[in-house]
Amino acid sequence: MPPKSLSKFINFIFITAFLASTLTGCWNRRELDTLGFVTALGVDRTGEDKIEITVHIAKPFAIARATEGSVSPEKSFWVVSSTGSTAFEAIRNLLLQSPRRPFYAHNRFIVIGEECARTGVKEILDLFARDGEARRLARVEVVKGATAKDFMQQVEFELERLPSEGGQGISRSVQEGLSAEPVDCTLNSFLQWLETEGVEPIAVRIDMVPKNPAAPSNVGHLLREQVKISSKHGGAAVFKGDKLVGWLDEKEMRGVNWVTGKVRSGILVIEQPNEKGKLVSLEILRAKSKLQPEVKNGEVLVTLRIDAEANLGEMQGTLDLVKYPQAWTEMERKMVEAIETEVMAAISKAKELNSDIFGFGAALNRRHPEEWDSLKDRWDLEFPRIDVKLEINAKLRRMGLVTRSSEPR
Amino acid sequence: MEIEGGKISGSQLLALLVLTRLVPVTIEFPLVTGIKSPQDAWISSLVGTVLSILPVLLMVRLSLKYPGKTIIEYSQLLLGKFFGKIAGFVLVWYWLSIAATMLRSVGDAYTTAIMPETPILAFILVVGFLSANAARSGLEVVGRLGEVNMLVVILSVLLTLSLPYKVMNFENLLPVLSKGIRPIMLPTGTAISFFVEFIILGMVAPYLNNPQTLTKSSLGAIAISGFMMTAFTVVLIAVFGPTVSSLMLPAFSLARMISIGEFLERLEVIPMSAWTITVAITLAFFLWASAVATAQLLSLKRFQSLVYPLAAISVAFSILFFESFFDLELYFKKIWVPYSLTVTLGISIILYLASFIRGRSSASTKVTGLCHRNH
Repeated sequence: MPPKSLSKFINFIFITAFLASTLTGCWNRRELDTLGFVTALGVDRTGEDKIEITVHIAKPFAIARATEGSVSPEKSFWVVSSTGSTAFEAIRNLLLQSPRRPFYAHNRFIVIGEECARTGVKEILDLFARDGEARRLARVEVVKGATAKDFMQQVEFELERLPSEGGQGISRSVQEGLSAEPVDCTLNSFLQWLETEGVEPIAVRIDMVPKNPAAPSNVGHLLREQVKISSKHGGAAVFKGDKLVGWLDEKEMRGVNWVTGKVRSGILVIEQPNEKGKLVSLEILRAKSKLQPEVKNGEVLVTLRIDAEANLGEMQGTLDLVKYPQAWTEMERKMVEAIETEVMAAISKAKELNSDIFGFGAALNRRHPEEWDSLKDRWDLEFPRIDVKLEINAKLRRMGLVTRSSEPR
Repeated sequence: MEIEGGKISGSQLLALLVLTRLVPVTIEFPLVTGIKSPQDAWISSLVGTVLSILPVLLMVRLSLKYPGKTIIEYSQLLLGKFFGKIAGFVLVWYWLSIAATMLRSVGDAYTTAIMPETPILAFILVVGFLSANAARSGLEVVGRLGEVNMLVVILSVLLTLSLPYKVMNFENLLPVLSKGIRPIMLPTGTAISFFVEFIILGMVAPYLNNPQTLTKSSLGAIAISGFMMTAFTVVLIAVFGPTVSSLMLPAFSLARMISIGEFLERLEVIPMSAWTITVAITLAFFLWASAVATAQLLSLKRFQSLVYPLAAISVAFSILFFESFFDLELYFKKIWVPYSLTVTLGISIILYLASFIRGRSSASTKVTGLCHRNH
């Protein structure tokens, strides 16, 4: 449309020029092919008060080649470390080695070495909460008995090309099938636990597992069936404040999950009624829990109610349940005992480490804030003396497709 | 002589007021930042919403008492020319300072969240220029923009609120009021201090299609925005627990917590669109109000020629007032609440008292007489 007057024409030119200038993009424009996507990140402290960051950066071309059909002999990720006085400096120093700018928005793991976790993680985690690129949904994990660097450099998984995918897959399975690791161990939860009164943080525990030590070394190559070191996710790293104080194994961690009501599945092995030495596996279906903390005569008493359901999954001996229906209640009773053992193991371990990972204090604060106010300063003394009363209610629902095992003639 | 020829409907006013109130919610949310008992922030939000009804009703009553007049005109009527103009200039200053803080907020939000190296002026200029253009086109355009975009903003706020459902833990809301009422008093004041920005309805009242909708729209706006703000606070506490008080851009952080089936992720663009839309439209609204107010104060015939200069002033203020995001945060924490409450409540109460006294002393003939003469 032709402009009608001079002033309109000037306006037209001005606005067009202005709008055109906004089309050029932004200062911080980054093209995809200039970025290196960080899929996992490890943090350690090195000797001379430095922080060392080790990252996995995905190699897009190696991944692409593999999906095209031919097996790429190349590893689909690159492991690189750098140091600095602070975590941010260390991360920025990666630019000295990386042709592509590391990009942290897709990072799923913050792996912390044991040494580093014992000296405190607060200084390190601040960066990941503050920075706009990192996500609060990244999982916090601690490597037992090794540095994060060792873990990042050595660990690989079968079935997945990227270790971060592998770790994620294992974590998901362990949560859903075994209930043996903390459920939402994200940075967001960790920071919340750190700040909430009456609860201590936990993180996922990783153990490095040697797989195939005799395999020939081929650096830079990941050939199938030659993963030398893999890792086991499960159990938990127990913190007190921001410092690591101890470890839970898988059974103890499931105990914690029973307490917090986060058990989703898993196998409970009990003794078979009426047949010595034979075992029965129960598959947990679902569980709920309810914490009822109270203070009686100055003593803290936590009443813990757990409702669990399970299916009969396997029976080693022979037992015809139609003939002996009383065995059903007997197995339910043994299931209660099995759960109780796991819960008590977790509680006594937490008391031993004096770290309130269950959030008994926080639960007390939610129900009885005045009483918590008078207790919180000496919670360290109170927590190991807490009396926990268990009310476990176990139900067996189904027994599978047969009523009895096949009996040999 | 009418400075502004356009008319808007009650629902458009409602939309503009809701957007005005959502600006601080979608960006910094000063209500929750630095709060002493984070789990009680939602109570502050709720109480603040309820308490805001009173001052807003006072503003509405004043406008209804002087139909066809803006707050600038009737303050001169009530306080005399000199004091009335002073009140008018104070209001214009107040609106411009809000415009400046809004520009700064959106600029700082962008530079903090996604483009740290981009000069903040790039964002401020773009938003300021577009808003000034809208304001120049008059109230009708601004009103329609508000009406159309309110749904977009509400939808994006609701999405941000509901999608992180997996990480919500409503136990974080307990214990209720464990530290007493004291820690929630200041945040309640913060909530009210944003609601009293509704004094701007004193500029819009004469340009309503149907002046009777004024009460309904204002109360509706309080209800909608109060509900959204309270829901937002509840969700933020459920997701972030006590760490909520450390968040600079809560809505943005909340959207980053969305992860559905590991493919619906990284939805920051939702709150970012809400920032931009709310700020741009609200800014246009405030620029329009300050331009019309200035024109009336200076007895000019047109307000349009004032819009660009006022926009330039608020852009300049947004750069000069604050050196950093931290300054802005300090401003919201220390200065904004008493400043906003004093200006708006002070002016409304003085005007109301004046109208009360005038109505008594001259049996209301003088005031209504004046009204007629001005028409």
